[in-house]
Amino acid sequence: MEHVLLIEDDDRIRLSLTLGLEDEGYAVRGAATAEEGLVAQRREPADTVLVDLMLPGLDGFECIRQLRSRDDVPIVVVSARDDTHDIVAALEAGADDYVVKPVAVKELSARLRALRRRARAASAASAVPALVFGDLEIRPEAGEVAVRGRPVALTRTEFRLLCELAQHPGRVLSRAQLLERVWEYAYGDERLVDVHIGRIRQKIEVDPAAPRHLVTVRGMGYKLPQ
Amino acid sequence: MRRPGLRTRVAAAFAAGAFALSASMAALSYQFTERALMAGRERNALRSAYLDAGVVQTGLATPEPDIVGVLRSLNTGTTRRAFLHRDGRWYARDADAGVTDTIPGGLRELVERGELGMQRVRTETGPAVVVGVPLPSSTGFYVIDSLHELDHTLRVLALVLTLVAAGTTAAGAGLGWYLARRALRPLDTVTAAAREITAGDLDARLDPATEPDLERLTTSFNQMVDQLSARLERDRRFAADVSHELRSPLQTLAAATSVLDRNRTRLDSRTATAVTLLSDEVARFQHLVTDLLELARDDQPQREPVDVADLCRQVCRSRGLAPEVVTVEGTATSWPVDRRRFAQILGNLLDNADRHGGGAVAVRVGAGPDRLVLEVDDEGPGVRPEDRVAIFDRFVRGPAAGARGDGDGTGLGLALVARHAAAHGGTAEVADRPGGGARFRIELPS
Repeated sequence: MEHVLLIEDDDRIRLSLTLGLEDEGYAVRGAATAEEGLVAQRREPADTVLVDLMLPGLDGFECIRQLRSRDDVPIVVVSARDDTHDIVAALEAGADDYVVKPVAVKELSARLRALRRRARAASAASAVPALVFGDLEIRPEAGEVAVRGRPVALTRTEFRLLCELAQHPGRVLSRAQLLERVWEYAYGDERLVDVHIGRIRQKIEVDPAAPRHLVTVRGMGYKLPQ
Repeated sequence: MRRPGLRTRVAAAFAAGAFALSASMAALSYQFTERALMAGRERNALRSAYLDAGVVQTGLATPEPDIVGVLRSLNTGTTRRAFLHRDGRWYARDADAGVTDTIPGGLRELVERGELGMQRVRTETGPAVVVGVPLPSSTGFYVIDSLHELDHTLRVLALVLTLVAAGTTAAGAGLGWYLARRALRPLDTVTAAAREITAGDLDARLDPATEPDLERLTTSFNQMVDQLSARLERDRRFAADVSHELRSPLQTLAAATSVLDRNRTRLDSRTATAVTLLSDEVARFQHLVTDLLELARDDQPQREPVDVADLCRQVCRSRGLAPEVVTVEGTATSWPVDRRRFAQILGNLLDNADRHGGGAVAVRVGAGPDRLVLEVDDEGPGVRPEDRVAIFDRFVRGPAAGARGDGDGTGLGLALVARHAAAHGGTAEVADRPGGGARFRIELPS
């Protein structure tokens, strides 16, 4: 059974979502503040964290950053804010996905399943033990990435995205395609792709502003040249 | 007639001022010069005539004078003609009859009375001055002194003064125009700041120190922008608060009703019916709130180059339509649109086709030289001509729906389509599809 940590300050939303997700087969633990949530995650790490942005005390963005600094637990933002800035900021802070309230329980459940598949798919991806692109080395089965010999910590989503591009070297994949293959959105917010590419560049590129590995192809998408 | 601009008025004022000044100066100069020159000339004429009169008098002192010979001995040059009048007869150097007619009668009378006289006359060669000198024995000596040269000089002077006046007026107009432009230049900074603010940069302010004369304008402008941006900020916060306050309870409703739904089998039939009603209405309410919040958004569309054909196929896929339904006309596939809004336009049109037209049968996207055209066809009953404008209003439903509608449409789908099309500066229309059904046409300029 998958364990979910739900950080939401509105008691009614927390309770109703808990009931709904339990119906879908998840074990849900609730936290009313970011501080509570961080403590809970440290003591008993959940498989996925759902976090709201408007929290009393420490806000959602900071909470995401702190969770991300510890490990690569999948984080989904569930927020009433639909502003572009908030979405991008939340993703840049380290979230894997973002849903806008009100979200149907079934939809949320689908997002969680996609996240779980992402974790497994990354490791089961390739028969090739290692994919090498200059100073970048990717080991899909082990789920490891190294740049210039040093290991790089990527979230599952980042890793999955990188593998997707690595398995089609030199080929341009559009944002829509990446959204579908990595996030399993038939049609969705392409900023998810853009922000994650940015995050990966920050971690693996010598100069993230002039990327040599994750290259943008204007008007088309991204590619990882040989 | 439109009131002429500030610059034109300033230039005209300068021109008028320059004209008044230079014209009066020219006129005065001319008057003074003319008077001085004329006075000098007349003095000359008088003196010469007097001298000549003396010579004539001496010449006439003999008992049988040769008058013509005496006249001929005078050094009159080409500009002066001398005449003598004695005993009712006129004597001249040459025989030019009729000239003596120009000698005015008044002057003759004066001379006959024994007085020296001078008068300006007009001859067939131009203006002249006639000097009459009385001589003993009731003789009158007349000289017609042509003012031709002086007249010519004065004409040239008049022309030059006129040209100078005209030139000064033109220069005045030019100076006025230039100064007006220079003076208005500080207003360019105001215009630039106003433009920045319209474009959305609410931090633009003017620095009063750069142009102390316009200080009142800059401070008022800055105050106005402060108020405006404070108001916008309040509106934004209000909109965000409203959004949050509406979405939060809806989340609880959605989650709680899904729990009820799942456990429906455990409920008795009356409770189950109540749950169904609840569930349906919550879903519809959620849809309505989402649409209303979308309609209330007033942020500017973020236009960026988008592969519209690809986006159309994606939207079709998300609605369960085969992407092959999308056909592309023309060659340009990348168009500057707000991605989210465009997707909503197509999505809502497809939903509308599903609800009232039996499903969309064709989606055409094509790019003209200056606009993008999107058409969605269905084979339903079509839209009556009298409804074609109202259909894009809020809360207008198809004739199949009841008072509040038993379809699950919100009545806002097409209103959003029209709104988003207008946000791009474009239009949304509906017409008949040839062969039956409705054709919705969206045009977006570049």
